Amino acid sequence: MSTEQKPAGCLGVAMKRKEDPRFIQGKGRYVDDISLPGMLYLSLVRSPYPHAEIKAIDIGDAMKVPGVVAVITGKDLEAAGLGWLPTFHGYDKQMVLAIGKVLFQYQEVAAVFAETRAAAADGAEAVQVEYAPLPVVADPFTAKRDETILRPDRDKKTNHIYHWEVGDKDKTARALANSPKKIKERIWFQRCHPAPLEPCGCVAQFDTMGRLQFYVTSQAPHVYRTALALVTGIPEDKIHVVSPDIGGGFGNKVPVYPGYVCAIVGALKIGRPVKWIETRTENLTSTGFARDYHMDVEIGATPDGRVTALHVATTADHGAFDAAADPTKYPAGMFGIVTGSYDFPTAHAEVDAYFTNKAPGGIAYRCSFRVTEASYAIERAMDILADELAIDPAELRRRNFVRKEQFPYPSSLGFTYDSGDYQKTLDVAMEKIGYRELLKEQAEKRARGELMGIGFSTFTEVVGAGPSKVFDILGIKMFDSAEIRIHPTGAGIVRAGTKSQGQGHETTWAQIVGEELGLDPQNIMVEEGDTDTAPYGLGTYASRSTPVAGGAIAMAARRVREKARKVAAHMLEAGEADVEWKDYKFQVKGVPARSVTMKEVAFAAYTNMAQIEPGLEASYYYDPPNMTFPSGAYVAVVDIDRETGEVKVRRFLAVDDCGIIINPLIVEGQIHGGLTEGFAIAFMQEIQYDKEGNNLNTNFTDYLIPTSLETPAWETEKTVTPSPHHPIGAKGVGESPNVGSPAAFVNAVIDALSPLGVRHIDMPITRDKVWRAIHQAEAMTT
Amino acid sequence: MNLQHSGEERIPASPDVVWAFVSDPGKIARAMPDVIDVTVHDPTHVDAVVQVAVGPVRGKFRLKVELLPDPSRRRIDLKISGGGFGSAVDMTAGADVVDAGDGGTLLKWSGQAVARGPVAAVGGRVLDAQAQKLIAQAFGNVRQQLSLAGDVHG
Repeated sequence: MSTEQKPAGCLGVAMKRKEDPRFIQGKGRYVDDISLPGMLYLSLVRSPYPHAEIKAIDIGDAMKVPGVVAVITGKDLEAAGLGWLPTFHGYDKQMVLAIGKVLFQYQEVAAVFAETRAAAADGAEAVQVEYAPLPVVADPFTAKRDETILRPDRDKKTNHIYHWEVGDKDKTARALANSPKKIKERIWFQRCHPAPLEPCGCVAQFDTMGRLQFYVTSQAPHVYRTALALVTGIPEDKIHVVSPDIGGGFGNKVPVYPGYVCAIVGALKIGRPVKWIETRTENLTSTGFARDYHMDVEIGATPDGRVTALHVATTADHGAFDAAADPTKYPAGMFGIVTGSYDFPTAHAEVDAYFTNKAPGGIAYRCSFRVTEASYAIERAMDILADELAIDPAELRRRNFVRKEQFPYPSSLGFTYDSGDYQKTLDVAMEKIGYRELLKEQAEKRARGELMGIGFSTFTEVVGAGPSKVFDILGIKMFDSAEIRIHPTGAGIVRAGTKSQGQGHETTWAQIVGEELGLDPQNIMVEEGDTDTAPYGLGTYASRSTPVAGGAIAMAARRVREKARKVAAHMLEAGEADVEWKDYKFQVKGVPARSVTMKEVAFAAYTNMAQIEPGLEASYYYDPPNMTFPSGAYVAVVDIDRETGEVKVRRFLAVDDCGIIINPLIVEGQIHGGLTEGFAIAFMQEIQYDKEGNNLNTNFTDYLIPTSLETPAWETEKTVTPSPHHPIGAKGVGESPNVGSPAAFVNAVIDALSPLGVRHIDMPITRDKVWRAIHQAEAMTT
Repeated sequence: MNLQHSGEERIPASPDVVWAFVSDPGKIARAMPDVIDVTVHDPTHVDAVVQVAVGPVRGKFRLKVELLPDPSRRRIDLKISGGGFGSAVDMTAGADVVDAGDGGTLLKWSGQAVARGPVAAVGGRVLDAQAQKLIAQAFGNVRQQLSLAGDVHG
């Protein structure tokens, strides 16, 4: 029997990412790396008009371009019953190619198929479209007036999409009316875009058996297969979706886009493979945007800073189609987390969404659905309240935190928070950042007229959608899945319904299996993204991989372990009930010397199984009992140049509590990446439209991605409060830094400017906005 | 992106000559800056292909031009629409041909345009200045063509 040393556990180990050697050597295999014999290229004709009737489309010149094979229009697709595709939200549909009119600038109008990418682009340029411009609705407040109805195709002849609300409206109104102190502020979370470095794309091929082979940049390949079956009528078994390596998704690669449908139609019609890879401009102007929530936030409080009520009324700009990829019953996503980390006795949140002549979307950009908007709103509002009451913002938060003994905590907006210790996390942050010393320094600088700010964000997320009783996408419940097979030598493979886009699943999933089975994670292969081989899962977005698929992997591993226990009992010549799993091996209870490792059991499972069914594998479909609630305390310290308005982020500390950490190296990397995106959102990024509906941020010259030169040096720390219901106690972290950081940055800037009387500036906080705020404030006082 | 310009241009030719020029679809189309090709369909309709370069945005625009002449008032109005490389422009312009009293002509003109797509987004920062340059270029072309025709007096 075994004389091996107890293997080290795998959770909490900073294993280097198994996938990185492949990526850093340029050996990743992305969709655009796929080239098939006879493959054609697709280029889309897009509308320069945000709202216009299509009078005529002339493809004559395009068909004369050398290399152009075919052109299809919306009418062609409509005739084939493929004119519209359902959005993932389930309550709306989106034109594949424009039919009758265009509803946003850069909308897809015609598809050109050609022998080369250049010929396809030339062909698209040669398509002549005659437009008759229509009045443009460029913001949701204009849309609200219903002077121009944008979607006459709908039964409801209004631009209003939905009204959603949660909480006790009357009780909240009464509490606000009776509150001795109140603040109210309109807080806009600007329209921004995930802008993954790899844009969206696909290759579609019908093989010799007539089966669709579809390689695509999808965060949710199984859902794609089902959606494609529903849209095209192709039986689901005749569709094979493969998501190869993906160069970042951040929610942008969740929706099904018109280019995908066109590629499939072209491949079917022409009988040749078709590749479509969008350009950067196409990605920024037509694929899923994020945010664009105008939030009127009202907080009631006592004079000593105890919150009494919260009301948030949001006007949401959804663009031309309601393509927010939210769960069916949650049109405004998880916006109910807007009470944040605070114990509001009552609250009411409502969202009204409108169509406008802008690109559709509203995706969960590196956050659970609409959680970043909610977190930003409450964290900004708490700072405004602190300013109103002249209470230190950290102290105001402390007075209102949900206390650790209150967990599981039922929030006034319907969530049951699983666990947390917000005070401890804030204490760690204040200690590590040296808050007292910073306050002293700030006082000295203010006396000299210098502008220095300290900003907090003590956020709580809700992630891991989700429990099947309430969460579904297109009716499919939001479970996730895993299959594990251990080979005779103790190596193994785990397949999951998720799809990594840089999150490091090949490492973390192997670590979970290694931890549960006492095997070397280096020899556990992870496979995702192939619908022929991976179990059905809802994919990777909204911070659901670790909370949901991570749970499935742990539970599948435990099923493997139960099977292995039978084999071990046979090997140890003991009753199954007398064999226990301890110190990463099976041993006879009370006789540690009589033990076998999982590696030995694996070999026996294929060679010495007696009456036991051979093999060592299991699967598990995990339906989480609850969401998980990661939290954090972030502190930003900024200095502002009074003359130029330039903001310098001197320090930024992120203290995260994401429960049990699987791989601290990956968690650290996730936090660094998310903070950098949060920094960009706070200071640089906005998809702007002018009043004529022109998108003004169509490339990386106008939509900025921070480089190492601009990005602050991040400081990180952690507290660990395990999730009580998750199989390994993990909560997920990938999106926390993007959720929590924007408010910390903005709070720090406003804190710096508060001596001038500045109360709020909407993101992105560019230097010209800061400069104007300073000069306006100075003009008021002189 | 909306553009609006107006002005007065002195042309050293008689009002009759200038009116004949501006109400001729072929001549007016060929006066466009960087014109590549002109196809006259009838006395009031002409298509033109022009080379456009606004900042980093460069390519060909196909434009449809409709002339709306009012000989009694010697006023010409133009509707121009078209685009290229994902951009579009819709423009209206008008000019009154006025006798300057010294044998020359005063062209009192105004125009407004809406630009959409990359030409507005990417080229937006320089579009206004570029428009002014193009207007100057267009009137320069008018003078040059009248000069070549021998219709301009010193």
